[in-house]
Amino acid sequence: MTNYIPIINILILILFSFVMMLFKDKKKIKYISIGSNLVVFLLSIFLMVYSISREVITLSIGNPNNLLGIEFYIGKSESVVTLVFTFVMLMILWFSNFALEKEVPENRISFFYVLINILLASLLGVIYSNDLFNSYVFIEVSTLSACGIIILKDKKENIKATVKYLIMSTIGSGLVLMAIAYIYSITGHLNISLIHETIVGNYQYHENAVLIILGLFTIGLGIKSAVFPLHSWLPDAHSSAPTPASAALSALVIKVYVFMLMKVLFRMFNYEIVNSFIIMDIILLLGSMGMIFGSIMAIMQKELKRMVAYSSVAQMGYIVFGIGLGTVTGTAIAIYHIIGHAVTKSSLFLISGLFIEKTGSKKIEDLKGIGREMPLTLGLFTLGAFSMVGIPILPGFISKWYLSLTCIEVGRVPLILIILASSLLNVLYYFPIVINGYFGNDNLDGKVYNSKKVEFIRILPIVLLVLAMMIIGGISFNLIELFNI
Amino acid sequence: MNFAVLLPILIPIISGFIVGLSKPAYNRRNTIVISTTIINLFLVVYIVLFKNNTLFHMVKINELLNLYLMPDNIGKTFAILVSALWIFTTFYSIDYMGKGDGLNKFFMFYLITEGVTLGIAFSGNLITLYLFYELLTLSTFPLVIEKGSEEALRAGKKYLIYSFFGATMVLFGIILLFSQTQNLSFVPGGVVGILVYDNKNLYLMVYLLLFLGFGVKAALVPFHSWLPSAMVAPTPVSALLHAVAVVKSGIFALGRMTYFVLGWRVIDFTGGNRYTLILVLLTILMGSFLAIHQENLKRRLAYSTISQLGYVMLALVIFEDSAYVGGFLHMLFHATVKITLFFCVGAIMHYEKKTELSEIAGIGKRMPKTMISFSVASFCLIGIPPTNGFVSKWFLAIGGLDQGNYLIPIILLLSAFFTAAYLIPVISTAFFKGDPSKEVEVSEPKNFMLVPIILLAAINIILGFFPNWLINTIQATANKLF
Repeated sequence: MTNYIPIINILILILFSFVMMLFKDKKKIKYISIGSNLVVFLLSIFLMVYSISREVITLSIGNPNNLLGIEFYIGKSESVVTLVFTFVMLMILWFSNFALEKEVPENRISFFYVLINILLASLLGVIYSNDLFNSYVFIEVSTLSACGIIILKDKKENIKATVKYLIMSTIGSGLVLMAIAYIYSITGHLNISLIHETIVGNYQYHENAVLIILGLFTIGLGIKSAVFPLHSWLPDAHSSAPTPASAALSALVIKVYVFMLMKVLFRMFNYEIVNSFIIMDIILLLGSMGMIFGSIMAIMQKELKRMVAYSSVAQMGYIVFGIGLGTVTGTAIAIYHIIGHAVTKSSLFLISGLFIEKTGSKKIEDLKGIGREMPLTLGLFTLGAFSMVGIPILPGFISKWYLSLTCIEVGRVPLILIILASSLLNVLYYFPIVINGYFGNDNLDGKVYNSKKVEFIRILPIVLLVLAMMIIGGISFNLIELFNI
Repeated sequence: MNFAVLLPILIPIISGFIVGLSKPAYNRRNTIVISTTIINLFLVVYIVLFKNNTLFHMVKINELLNLYLMPDNIGKTFAILVSALWIFTTFYSIDYMGKGDGLNKFFMFYLITEGVTLGIAFSGNLITLYLFYELLTLSTFPLVIEKGSEEALRAGKKYLIYSFFGATMVLFGIILLFSQTQNLSFVPGGVVGILVYDNKNLYLMVYLLLFLGFGVKAALVPFHSWLPSAMVAPTPVSALLHAVAVVKSGIFALGRMTYFVLGWRVIDFTGGNRYTLILVLLTILMGSFLAIHQENLKRRLAYSTISQLGYVMLALVIFEDSAYVGGFLHMLFHATVKITLFFCVGAIMHYEKKTELSEIAGIGKRMPKTMISFSVASFCLIGIPPTNGFVSKWFLAIGGLDQGNYLIPIILLLSAFFTAAYLIPVISTAFFKGDPSKEVEVSEPKNFMLVPIILLAAINIILGFFPNWLINTIQATANKLF
């Protein structure tokens, strides 16, 4: 029975998204949405406990040896990532229960919940799928539903951002599809494990084709996950979307494509094969550039949500950097950073949403003195910022530490400088908000203590996310040991 | 009862949060702050007397993130210094800071900083020390920008950027070191040992990174410029920053790194101390040279600190046991001396609203006790026998000579001359300038301020006459190291 949890998860989410459409009452829709996500979250806990005690869960749909070979594959990393993603999504839904009305027109609210369910289902689908066909379908579904939740606000900038995202994303999907076609023509399989068996023996005979395949997958999935020079859609889309949608996009959506990339690189091929191609160096370069330039661009932003969005580009850089190192530990840290960043960035986006709602301004400079008006909220923001900057024990530090150790392991010591430079740059854009928020006479003049307090029930999901962040930092060693592709 | 080791760190932090969150009234707050610091001194004394090399594990996540406390002799000495000087500063700052609003936040961070500094003192390995070191930056930052003015914020940002830059270098060094040794604990003589023969250049890099990184907080030239800027802080904070909390933590961390992590034999083998010696000598000369040109009294003292820290750092680059004793003594003596000097200058600032050298003509008549304390501390710093400054500089010079380096005693003498050149004018202006026939009403600071000043001056004199028990204690550690 437990073997079927993955498919049950996806089916619950999709079925209830259709059920939601039958209702007109928004309250009922909210209950259905939160209820179905809660069930999925509980099932994911069960799934994780189950999968940690066993090696791997595979679930074949139809005949695995037929043309499509649709198969789910849930190892330890998949089940942990699932758990974190469902938890984050549940918190985002809790938050949006109280916040969505303020940003989105009345008649669109039910759409949001429908789309979120489909989005989460497709994200889980990408994570679970062990075949290229199914992955591709889920990637497309996730892209379209992501576009949907951006455009909900119905403003000019949203439409512009969505069209940009849609075009870029479609190019990405096109490249991925082309890569799938190539690999199918070489191996005659779509199932990742079967492709692996075929390609390991005879990749030498198709060196150029393999290089092209790797390049197409990297660029195609790179566009979708906003890897540095391909990120231009992200700041517009993530900053204009409604706050809960931004949190979901930045924390979850862009991560699954990178996860898919890892599966392609290390499960479909293997470390030995990909390391013999130049592609790993390029991935490493893209990651390094993302870490530096993402941060530099974040420093230059004047709007809070844009800044946090650019920070995501920088953090994607860390994940891609971990992949680019091309070792088992590098991959494990990349996965660790996926979950660490998921909880951190979602809480930062939700907090930004609260700031914008209470001050009525998107600008960073209008946040001066916010620490007196919303002390607890800025305190949570500070903890998130500490993780980004790399204060020990928080997840950000752990990732940087292990990335550095892996750099030494593979004999690329100078790369540590990039990691450290990037964390110094993080200080430059996160700390001014905290400092100007809490300190300075000019900043605090005329601000009334706790005057913009948020009800505790609204801030509780953020508190839980920050707590989860600390737990993920605390048990980092056990987590990193679990992760492999 | 190993848990007791954690208490002196935890209690100030907890009561800091109590002060910050419950916002007590003036009298209640003073009671809390004073009793916390006094209780803490007793706790530290208890640990010093009854806890010998007790390990206390705080968190153990893996080999790397293994945070534990282990008070040894050096840590204990530093902890006594910190907790004792904190009491003096508490009384002083209660008078100095006045009754304004928003001081609860000040005292909150003031107490937290004490806990964090004691954490540095008791840390049992480099990663624990690094954690507290980062926390120290974060907890002292609000103290530096207490005034909240534009200038204070700018100075605070400078302080943050310098500190994080330094911490980043330290982290880089720690990463490299950990990847080789898999061990960061403090062992007399270091954990590297013969591993150095495998990869000499890597260890040279580790040493330089750690030295420069920790050197930022210890105001090593060329990373010193945050220290004079941080003078915008209220005087008790500057005094603490200079005497114990920040710069001495930097020195303490440097000492840990040099003698307990890398080990001086390893550093000697890599030859890294030849480069750092140049920087240290430069620090000594440049600090005192720049101090002469400062009109503002606090800035004058700030540059003087830079120079004096150079003396202490000498002990970390010449590996001789007498230099080690001298450096360690100077670290303690400079703390008590510099805090006295700052308290005197602060008293003048607070009661007479005078900050520049030219303004204080004749102030010796108005505040005789304060200025006599200032003079006593100045003589100590210059190193006129039989003051404590003389004792420590003597050992340092001997250490230099033992190594056959005649440049070091010469630079020490030259700098002593400069020290006189920037401190004597203050005394002479205060006592001998101005109209001698004019009748001046004597107006000393209130007791909360005056008593700490006089007590500290007395401690300086006592330490100068009876330094032997201190020397013996330090010599005992030195024997283990050399």
